[in-house]
Amino acid sequence: MADHHVIIENLVKTYPGAQKPSVDHVSFSLPRGEMLALLGPSGCGKTTILRMIAGLIVPSSGAIRLDGRDVSSIPVYKRNMGMVFQAYALFPHMTVAENISFGLEMRKVGRAEREERVRKALDLVKLAGFGERKVSQLSGGQQQRAAIARSLVIEPELLLLDEPLSNLDAKLRDEMRDEIRDIQARTGVTAIFVTHDQDEALSMADRLAVMSAGRLEQIGTPREIFDRPQTDFVASFIGAGTFFEGKVAGPGVAAVDGLPPLRFVGEAAVGSPVRLMVRPHRLLLAGEDGQPNSFTGTVEHIVYRGQILTLSVRCGSRLLQADLPTHAGVLPQKGDQVTLTVAPEDVTLIGREAA
Amino acid sequence: MSAAVTAPAGGAPAASRGILLMLLLPGLVALVITFLLPLLWLFRASFASSAVGALSGGDWTSEAYTTVLFDPFYWRVAWNTLVLGFNVAIFAVILSYPIALFLARTQSRFRGVLTALAVAPLLTSSVVRTYGWMVILGDRGVINSTLQALSLTDGVIRLTNNSFGATVALIEILMPYAILAMLSGFGRLNVQLEEAAAMLGANRLKVFTRIVLPLSLPGVLTAALLVFVLAISSFVTPRLMGGGRVFVLGTEVFNEATVTLNWPLAAALSVMLLVLFSSIILLYQRALRALEV
Repeated sequence: MADHHVIIENLVKTYPGAQKPSVDHVSFSLPRGEMLALLGPSGCGKTTILRMIAGLIVPSSGAIRLDGRDVSSIPVYKRNMGMVFQAYALFPHMTVAENISFGLEMRKVGRAEREERVRKALDLVKLAGFGERKVSQLSGGQQQRAAIARSLVIEPELLLLDEPLSNLDAKLRDEMRDEIRDIQARTGVTAIFVTHDQDEALSMADRLAVMSAGRLEQIGTPREIFDRPQTDFVASFIGAGTFFEGKVAGPGVAAVDGLPPLRFVGEAAVGSPVRLMVRPHRLLLAGEDGQPNSFTGTVEHIVYRGQILTLSVRCGSRLLQADLPTHAGVLPQKGDQVTLTVAPEDVTLIGREAA
Repeated sequence: MSAAVTAPAGGAPAASRGILLMLLLPGLVALVITFLLPLLWLFRASFASSAVGALSGGDWTSEAYTTVLFDPFYWRVAWNTLVLGFNVAIFAVILSYPIALFLARTQSRFRGVLTALAVAPLLTSSVVRTYGWMVILGDRGVINSTLQALSLTDGVIRLTNNSFGATVALIEILMPYAILAMLSGFGRLNVQLEEAAAMLGANRLKVFTRIVLPLSLPGVLTAALLVFVLAISSFVTPRLMGGGRVFVLGTEVFNEATVTLNWPLAAALSVMLLVLFSSIILLYQRALRALEV
């Protein structure tokens, strides 16, 4: 941790007159070359954190360390960080090349070197030949690329991206998602991006920091976050799932109201209350009742979604959500009696580390 | 089949064009009666030999233009007018720019109130505000009496009845227009662009000279043009603050039309003013296009 490239320590931001801090003692760190996603609903403080790292907002307390050096007191224009704004913020009175060259001019880089680096930056984002265009002559995706080139040409310590894909249409978004990931990998720049879109975060980031109400809920790899959520918030914010409250009845067995005992993998003291979650795609159709973790009920609702079929199955007082692959033989109909089963290792014990 | 489909489609625009023309007609008629005809009459009057001739048709003569073009007095008047216009435009723009910039960038919830306050002087007639300036700048006005009471000056410093007074009063009177024009021309200013420039290594001065200033130039240019045009066509303020000693095109047109009753000369002077306007506006449009392309 101590040798990590970027270290955020106990960062707090309380706006004047606000009851609660917008960012409340947040700490995390990134090794060099990592791409971290700050994920959370709007108003969770993720953008405030990004802007504090950039130097656009002054933190109330805490430290932002780059290679061990606290940069909190360094003004924005000396921090040497690249930022890609949500609306790109390209200078409308300059050409694409002038936009990209701006940061180099501020660094008093000579003309010849400037032109060379601008050309390379344009190549990097596949905008070769677009240098003389006006910003208004670019499409949304091209503006995005230009903004990325502009922030990377200065060889920043850290690349910050604020909702980088939110202004693009769906098809372009997928394309730029891979593109940004690719550019980041090729340049090896340490990057932090802010998003409210979990697909974006899961697919682009090496690790995710999930935020809620100013606090960091959990930080981990996409798999850890998805499969082993540590808090209720993370479990419900990322992906869908059916939640169960119960009591630990024995080692790896929980008694849940109105259902057969639920087996899970994980450490929990006998008699203690637990919260468990099953992801919809972990529930499978079972041949017959009687296996462990099998629930029989009536199909109440069916949504056909192409590759998967989403079922809502009524089991006593509970509604289980299951995603079945549509290629799996005969599909259940509304009103059918079905038996669903889940492997104990696919039952997530919320709030505990993986066993 | 296809003809049946295309026929109504082809007829529709013609019909709507007809409706458009009908809708435009009242406005056009009003413009022709109140603007175009008087303008033509003004043009005709400037070539008449007398006021009577101007009304009844009469003969054509370029006498008025000969006077305007060959009498050095009118060249001085034109020059005075231009100098007044430029001075007023430059100072009104310089003084209004920080105010407009503040109003455009502020996040304050009082922004609306502040904007209203900045343009509130427009609610009073410029005659009243000119008299206000006479009270301040007059020979026995606030400034002179204060200076004398403090024994800083012996005599009276002449601040009115000259072009200085007229310029000062016009600057203040036209500033709200400058602020409004700038605010409407600052559309491309955006705090995020300033942040982006700062992220790229620009300090506050560089952010201003490289981002804010160039992006606000269209607004500045619009404001300068508006103030200039209003200043060179002003009559009340130069007349009152100048005390009859400041000769600009506005006051001369008034003099020739109502005092000397030389209508052809008044008309010729008006045409000159019109030519001045048009050439300035043409220059402005060129400059604006150069800025925005």
